[in-house]
Amino acid sequence: MEAAIKKVGTKSISIKKLSFRYKDQKDRKAIEEINLDVEKGQFIVIMGPSGAGKSTLANCLNGLVPHFIRGEYEGEVWINNIKVKDSTVSNMAKEIGLVFQDFESQLFSTNTKLEIAFGPENFGVEREEIRKRIEKVLRIVKLESFEDRQPSTLSGGEKQRLAIGSVLASQPNTICMDEPTTDLDPIGKLGIFNIARELHESKELTLIIIEHETEEALQADRLIIMENGKIIRDGLPQDILRKTDLTDKIGIMSLQIPKYFSIVSSLSNENLPLTPIEGFEKFKTVGLKINEEKYNMLELADEEREGKYGDVLIEVSDLEHTYANGRGALMGASLQIREGEFLAITGHNGSGKTTLVKHLNGLLIPTSGTVIVNGKDTSESSIFEIGKKIGYVFQNPDHQIFADTVYEEVAFSPKIRGCPKEEIETRVKEALKAVEMEGYEEEDPFSLAKGERQRIAVASVLSARPKIIILDEPTTGLDYKEQKKMMNLIKSLNEDGHTIIIITHTMWVVSEYAHKVAVLKEGEIMMYGKTREVFQREEDLLNSHLRTPHIVSLSNKLGKTMLSIDEMTKCTEAVK
Amino acid sequence: MDMFLYLDKDTLLHRLDPRTKLLIMLGSFIVTLIFRYIPMLLGLFIAIILYGYLGKVLSNLKRIRVILIMIALVSVVLWAFAGGGDTQILGPITKEGIVYGVAVAIQFNIMIISGMIFLSSTKIEEISLGLVKLKLPYRGAFAFSTAIRLVPTIVGTAYTIKQAQKSRGLDLDSGSFMHRAKKYIPLLIPTIISVIRGTNVFAMALESKGFGYDRIRTNYLELRFRAIDYILMLLMLVAIAFSIYAKIKFVS
Repeated sequence: MEAAIKKVGTKSISIKKLSFRYKDQKDRKAIEEINLDVEKGQFIVIMGPSGAGKSTLANCLNGLVPHFIRGEYEGEVWINNIKVKDSTVSNMAKEIGLVFQDFESQLFSTNTKLEIAFGPENFGVEREEIRKRIEKVLRIVKLESFEDRQPSTLSGGEKQRLAIGSVLASQPNTICMDEPTTDLDPIGKLGIFNIARELHESKELTLIIIEHETEEALQADRLIIMENGKIIRDGLPQDILRKTDLTDKIGIMSLQIPKYFSIVSSLSNENLPLTPIEGFEKFKTVGLKINEEKYNMLELADEEREGKYGDVLIEVSDLEHTYANGRGALMGASLQIREGEFLAITGHNGSGKTTLVKHLNGLLIPTSGTVIVNGKDTSESSIFEIGKKIGYVFQNPDHQIFADTVYEEVAFSPKIRGCPKEEIETRVKEALKAVEMEGYEEEDPFSLAKGERQRIAVASVLSARPKIIILDEPTTGLDYKEQKKMMNLIKSLNEDGHTIIIITHTMWVVSEYAHKVAVLKEGEIMMYGKTREVFQREEDLLNSHLRTPHIVSLSNKLGKTMLSIDEMTKCTEAVK
Repeated sequence: MDMFLYLDKDTLLHRLDPRTKLLIMLGSFIVTLIFRYIPMLLGLFIAIILYGYLGKVLSNLKRIRVILIMIALVSVVLWAFAGGGDTQILGPITKEGIVYGVAVAIQFNIMIISGMIFLSSTKIEEISLGLVKLKLPYRGAFAFSTAIRLVPTIVGTAYTIKQAQKSRGLDLDSGSFMHRAKKYIPLLIPTIISVIRGTNVFAMALESKGFGYDRIRTNYLELRFRAIDYILMLLMLVAIAFSIYAKIKFVS
């Protein structure tokens, strides 16, 4: 023990040759031969594609692996000179706090105060001291005046902040957050990272955040990239993220500004700007300008596309909805969706996005106002009837999947609609082809990866051959590569003639794919129009708790609105 | 959707010790079950309603009004036919049957309402702490309170899943009973899987917050019997004793 103390010194985490294989894992280990030393007070971001072993590593830190999740464990993890394997999870909670992505499942108390008190209670902290800690923690996570609120009444961002607070209350000197912002809107994300930064400023706390949004990773002291169970990069985030060919290859989203400049300029790696502000400066100094003619062509193409839309399929007028408990979720929304459109509905957590689209297929009936689908009032037709025209892919594929095989799952919709056997077969084939999941017919859908389950959920809606497809958060919980694949699938469905409506708060998805955007804020449509027009108004978006992607911000600074790196490079030329 | 029963208010009822409220609830069950005499039951019914009114939690009854009415109707109709007795009103329907049915209906509703008032006015943490103070081991009490806590979560998940399957064209309202039962499979499997996944994270979060670190644990909430607790408990005990006495006397 004494020798070990000498070895780790001021390190708060020391990992030596750590490998772990889950019980049911055959092909390879979840993490392999990880060596990692973390100095006290560091702020580390860990990134990597799905299946890289990030969560497994996080669970190794407080002993959930191997005490709670069992498997083949090799190597050593030391936290504050305590060997995790020889301790218990509850013991480790005093040293390291773990925050999970799923904030619904980690909160369980009747009010905020008791949620924070739970940890210290377990450690037998005096009541008076707990009172003090609650006060302090509420201040840190910015939930003062929320102490008597039920966690279920908080917004997503507030819930996740409470989850962080509940862990802070036990006063660990290391906090590890496993994708804490995945389910949050851009401003909710920012809130979490602001807290992280403030915690970091105290220098007492070691902070580890697993994240998949590259833009946020810039704030860290150190960035670790994992792939296939191994650490493949470890260094300053600015250095690593400038190498966009590397991030592209691994499949994490590349920072847009350095990527754009590496295409249009011959700047060397270390001179690439990282943020829109740096990019704006660089744009002038390296002698670039926007080609007006080409930009006008982009706008022209937008117009042309709009001219090609068909009949009005959905007409929403003055829609209001009040839930049975008296909470007003929508206050007078109006929309008109025409055949062939690709509409993104965006807005902060709890802004009413899901409530709005649930009206489109008759799951909800307006409290006042009307929803006309295909010429019929939804309050006068059944979901079954509307369901023939509108397919609805729910946010969580696990809320849909139930069959033993992929085939059965996809065949469900045509089957209950009474299609003959041959017809069912062609439809399943067609749907699986569309989502590129042919050959998976006999697989058990539950054994598939999240991205694949999501695609099966889409296929099972496609097999009903709906004209309109609604997708609620189709990219949440997927890594960048899977997100891209999902969105390209949706795009090709749109090009094949389907009208698409997606709900999302992932802003690059909106800017790169949607034709039109509706921005909701507190139950009202604040902005509605062509994507380019909406993204031009950065200030207004910010007011609705949304932020434009870096490349859009850069182009806005230059007086034009471009929605992707592609558009931006096409319109860039050198000053003669 | 808000599925939690507890209503956070500051009333006399909310300030009562959970043990007092537990005794009142169990006491109301006992007294109710001892008598099947309508005027007596009506009196008890009014007393329970007043008790709930004290805590301003009667609004929760609206959420279960369908259940309350259904139970009353089923009970009256069922016993009207099956209750037996001599005073025939119409065919097999007897006056005694109807009277019996009404009494059973009131009994059931008193118990449901009493339980509802308890859950609406007592925090889950208070329930588990109350059980601990009654010498139940903490883990047991926590498990019990977790079970109560899980119900709304499961109902919420099932509701979402029902909507998801309805959107795919699942029609739950037509067909014979067996046919309809079969249709619930697409709801059951995802619900069970989601609940298992959720509880797994829940268990990991619990452990990660030091659950079960030590046998001795601080309770942030303080439970204390006040004068009003003693008075109410005494009243309840007297009521129970009187009921039992009356019952024995009445029967013999």
